[in-house]
Amino acid sequence: MQALQRTRICVASAMVVILLSACSGTSNQALRDFQLQTPRPFGYVIGDTIRHRILIQIRSGMALERSSLPGQGRLNRWLQLNEVSVTEQDGSDGKKYQIDFLYQQFYAPLEVKELSIPGFMLRFQQHGQTLEQPVAPWPFTVAPLRELVVRQDQHGEYMRPDQAPTLLDDKEIVQRLLMALTVATGIAVRLAWLYGYLPGLPQRSVFKRAQRKLQNLGLQQLPQALGALHAAFNGLHGKPVFLHKLAEFYQSHPEYRSVAEELAWFFDYSNCYFFGDASTMPQENDLQKIKTLCLHCREIERGSR
Amino acid sequence: MIRKLKHWLLWATLAIALLVTLTQLLQLYGLAGQNRLIGQLLAGKDVSGDDLATSAPEVRMARAVYLSQHQRYDEALATLNLLLQQSGSVAQAQTRYNLGNLYLRQAMEKAQAGNINEAMPLLGLVKQAYREALTLDSDFWDAKYNLEVAMRLLPEMDRITSGDGQDDLNQKTQLWTTLPGFPRGLP
Repeated sequence: MQALQRTRICVASAMVVILLSACSGTSNQALRDFQLQTPRPFGYVIGDTIRHRILIQIRSGMALERSSLPGQGRLNRWLQLNEVSVTEQDGSDGKKYQIDFLYQQFYAPLEVKELSIPGFMLRFQQHGQTLEQPVAPWPFTVAPLRELVVRQDQHGEYMRPDQAPTLLDDKEIVQRLLMALTVATGIAVRLAWLYGYLPGLPQRSVFKRAQRKLQNLGLQQLPQALGALHAAFNGLHGKPVFLHKLAEFYQSHPEYRSVAEELAWFFDYSNCYFFGDASTMPQENDLQKIKTLCLHCREIERGSR
Repeated sequence: MIRKLKHWLLWATLAIALLVTLTQLLQLYGLAGQNRLIGQLLAGKDVSGDDLATSAPEVRMARAVYLSQHQRYDEALATLNLLLQQSGSVAQAQTRYNLGNLYLRQAMEKAQAGNINEAMPLLGLVKQAYREALTLDSDFWDAKYNLEVAMRLLPEMDRITSGDGQDDLNQKTQLWTTLPGFPRGLP
């Protein structure tokens, strides 16, 4: 009878526990998710790094106690913790932590050997209450790089030689040099064209040739001087230029408007000289004005005016 | 006015481009000279101190390699110590590795001569240098290999504990934290 009563009490207690746990739901659990993500546990050699990641989801209001994480530096004789980074994210369904560890191992085994990254206890705080979550040790195997029987060379035990420095890289300098040279060449060609130094492109040297002809002419050769300048204008325009057609000339070559007064004087003077009554004697000053006009036209031609 | 400005701008640009060309040519010439020095040192020919005065860290590194190969360890050490100040993790790792090699050669020579007591502290420095090189570059395979050489020469062993934490704390000296061993191969 007593046994039956005891059984009833046990069943009732179990039902109460089941009901309570069902009512509580998962949302009130302090630690909702815990994952330790690790790489392959084999095939490591001395000096290799090993990354571990812990993903945690906890109830809002709880906080990770950072001091429960292992600190950077040497953890033991052969293990070093190079980096620890914690990323925290608050969400409606709780708080998420991502903790990344970068270990580096310096064990030199004689044969394949199992080692273990030590475990530790993560702690969380809420209103003075502490929750602990163990992080299990992580076993992995390391292998040697050298054969067991020591290899010898002429200097004794074989070791890898010094690292010779690589030759200094000149790629960037060569690139900058080529760029500067390209720009310089482009501009030089452009200027050579403007100054009439490029063969096969005479349109930029009509006043240069006229200037060269005018250079050695005296007052006695005024007709030749006038003719040379007329030829230059005609050559530039592609057809004869007259005083009454100067407007048309300016339409095709607006840059010559800056010497419009001098041009008008020149065509007027030329008309008077060739078709006038010859009552006015040519002056030395006139020839100088023609030469100056030619010089100005030359400056316009090469773009410096 | 704008035409005139454009024209003189062309001349100014040409002057700048020519200036840049000239400076780059000079830099290229200087670089070729530095590379010639590196080649000379790596071929086993020393260079004068004047050439090194204004040289690049790479030339100094080549000189350190040359000095180390010619058993001029003190000069090599001084050169490498100067290079430890330079920036760049690759260069830093390389310097530490060469420093480790320098100590390792000396340690091996001393061990072969029977001076184990002098070899042991050097091997401690060797391991430290290689560890630092590997912390900077964990894919530095030559450093891994040579660290293993050093570890075989001077293995590290865990401290012997009695199982009683208080006793261990009271123990002033460590027992066999390192065990010298210079293997000569199996019979």
